[in-house]
Amino acid sequence: MISPAWGQQNLDAAFRSTGSAVVAAFESQRAVLQTSSAVLLDGRDESGYGVVISPDGHILTKASEFLQLKKPAITVDRTKYPEVEMLAMDPEWDVVLLKIKASGLVPVVYAPSSAVPQGTWVVANGVTTRNARRVLTGIVSANTREIPVAGGPALGVVLKQESKKLEIEEVTEKGGAHKADIRKGDIILKVAGKAVKTISELSDALKDCKAGSAVDITIRRGKKELTVEVRLTAKSEIFSEQMSRNDQMSGDFSNRRSGFPRVLQHDILGTSKIVGGPLLDLDGRCIGMNIARANRAESFAIPVEDLKTLAERLMSQVPAGK
Amino acid sequence: MRNRLRSFLFALLGLPSLAAGERLYINDKQAPETRKDLEVIQSALIAALPKTRGATVGIELEEGFGTGVIVSADGLILTAAHVSAGVNKKITVVLEDGTKLKAKTLGLNSDTDAAMIRITESGTWPFVEIDRNDSVRLGDWVFALGHSGGFDKERGLVTRLGRLVRMANSTFQSDCILIGGDSGGPLFDLQGRLVGINSRVGNEVQENLHVPMSEFVGRWDDLLKGEFIGEGPFAKKPVKGSGFLGLASDARPEGGLKVTKVGKKTPAEAAGLKEGDVILKLNDTPLAKREDLQNLLKEMADGDEITLDLLRGGKNETLTLNLGAR
Repeated sequence: MISPAWGQQNLDAAFRSTGSAVVAAFESQRAVLQTSSAVLLDGRDESGYGVVISPDGHILTKASEFLQLKKPAITVDRTKYPEVEMLAMDPEWDVVLLKIKASGLVPVVYAPSSAVPQGTWVVANGVTTRNARRVLTGIVSANTREIPVAGGPALGVVLKQESKKLEIEEVTEKGGAHKADIRKGDIILKVAGKAVKTISELSDALKDCKAGSAVDITIRRGKKELTVEVRLTAKSEIFSEQMSRNDQMSGDFSNRRSGFPRVLQHDILGTSKIVGGPLLDLDGRCIGMNIARANRAESFAIPVEDLKTLAERLMSQVPAGK
Repeated sequence: MRNRLRSFLFALLGLPSLAAGERLYINDKQAPETRKDLEVIQSALIAALPKTRGATVGIELEEGFGTGVIVSADGLILTAAHVSAGVNKKITVVLEDGTKLKAKTLGLNSDTDAAMIRITESGTWPFVEIDRNDSVRLGDWVFALGHSGGFDKERGLVTRLGRLVRMANSTFQSDCILIGGDSGGPLFDLQGRLVGINSRVGNEVQENLHVPMSEFVGRWDDLLKGEFIGEGPFAKKPVKGSGFLGLASDARPEGGLKVTKVGKKTPAEAAGLKEGDVILKLNDTPLAKREDLQNLLKEMADGDEITLDLLRGGKNETLTLNLGAR
């Protein structure tokens, strides 16, 4: 044993709160992550984690990170599953339901409640080796709450400035309008059936909507009038966010880190790649699912109550036999 | 043999604190090993949070937000010098529930980043105990509080748990991860005693630096008196003549200066001075000529508080404001 001997003014790395000697005390929680968390791979690179929710290979992970992967594969325990199928998605929570061809997996055991006192230990996935999970530890660190969308929800269009109509000058590639096939030159007439004539009326109509939710937009294209469903996107996702001083000192953070109906906050320090996996309590039960690293001091998890409902909803959307 | 000597020393050093019946055994363990060890840390932290959070305040700055902690029932606050940024200035502090309180900056030490503030409203405030005897040791479990990134009523204060990983050069380093907004906030031991004040972060996330309590205790009276100590990097000493009011005036034959113009976006305008107001006195000194005002301002600095006795619409009024930067 290396001892922090008297007079020595630096604590050996092993004994720091993320050091190997301290982390060793969390072996029973690590064993749960070994079997009930999934490691997401992009080719050979580790690029996030997932929560195993059924013995036959249903896994939840962060949607916006998963969709970036070029060659997704998954490891659970020591087995690598090269085929990953996407079954359902919830854009509001930014969660996707995946399926691997597996049997006999050990799903997470849900904790009865996420309403634990601040200061309660929590455990999450850290960088792994091919065969072994490692842990990162921390505490519940702030009030559970909603994280409103940074910058508010947006359609993903640029409107013509001088025009007296809401004429679209440009459709942003990353926004929901682009996916709904809204085009340059279209004129916005209504939001959810309500007529809008000015930019301020339009932004008022969108103000109370949530990013990820869908809204009916009525447009005029030439002589035709069309109504399309547009999924709203967080402004911060479409237009690159201004880096604040805190962002600059944060190392990397999740691209999507706002617009969640409710989060459990903790102080586990990791990279933006630590998201998607389960957050465990000392009993090894799943108290949430890591959904964003907001900055170096704040990480967010979907609380277990919301996660259970979400998992059930996504599973119910899966066609029979999958 | 060497190992045995070490543990012997450890045992001896532990004795006085153990006798006080406070220091947790977990601090003298190199690392927690059992579920019970982890639960001891957890329950101590949970027990310490309500009181420590109650005493932790947000500090509104001209630009940005800082944190501080109340250490006496009558509202003495410890914070960082780069947060208070000056002495004898009016500021506003905010309790976790959003209650805003008037306060005044006292002294600061620009070499160590230590500073004091006092709540100027009357009342009895929640406060924490200070580790006056420097009893905290390398490796002790500690937690930091702060309004990370600014005040957020829904979120509340942000707690971070870590250990003291370095003690050197009037600075503690912990692995409680700090970020902007945490500056000036408290670092506590597991008993909820204040052991340091959050100061700054390094380039690496592991580098989170705090001002040890000894730096406050050692200069307590000077800080309380409102002294600007040192010429270090954490606060800029006010420069005489840098204070700016932003108005033009003419002397009246019967005494006092009649305001002829109030500059846009100046401290005078912000304080509500208007054309036609007559300034009779500045800080109780009567003004007869324009030079009287100029000479008084020459001795003052950016941020200084001044009191003006006015004649407005035939009535006497008093106005207090802070000078701006020239």
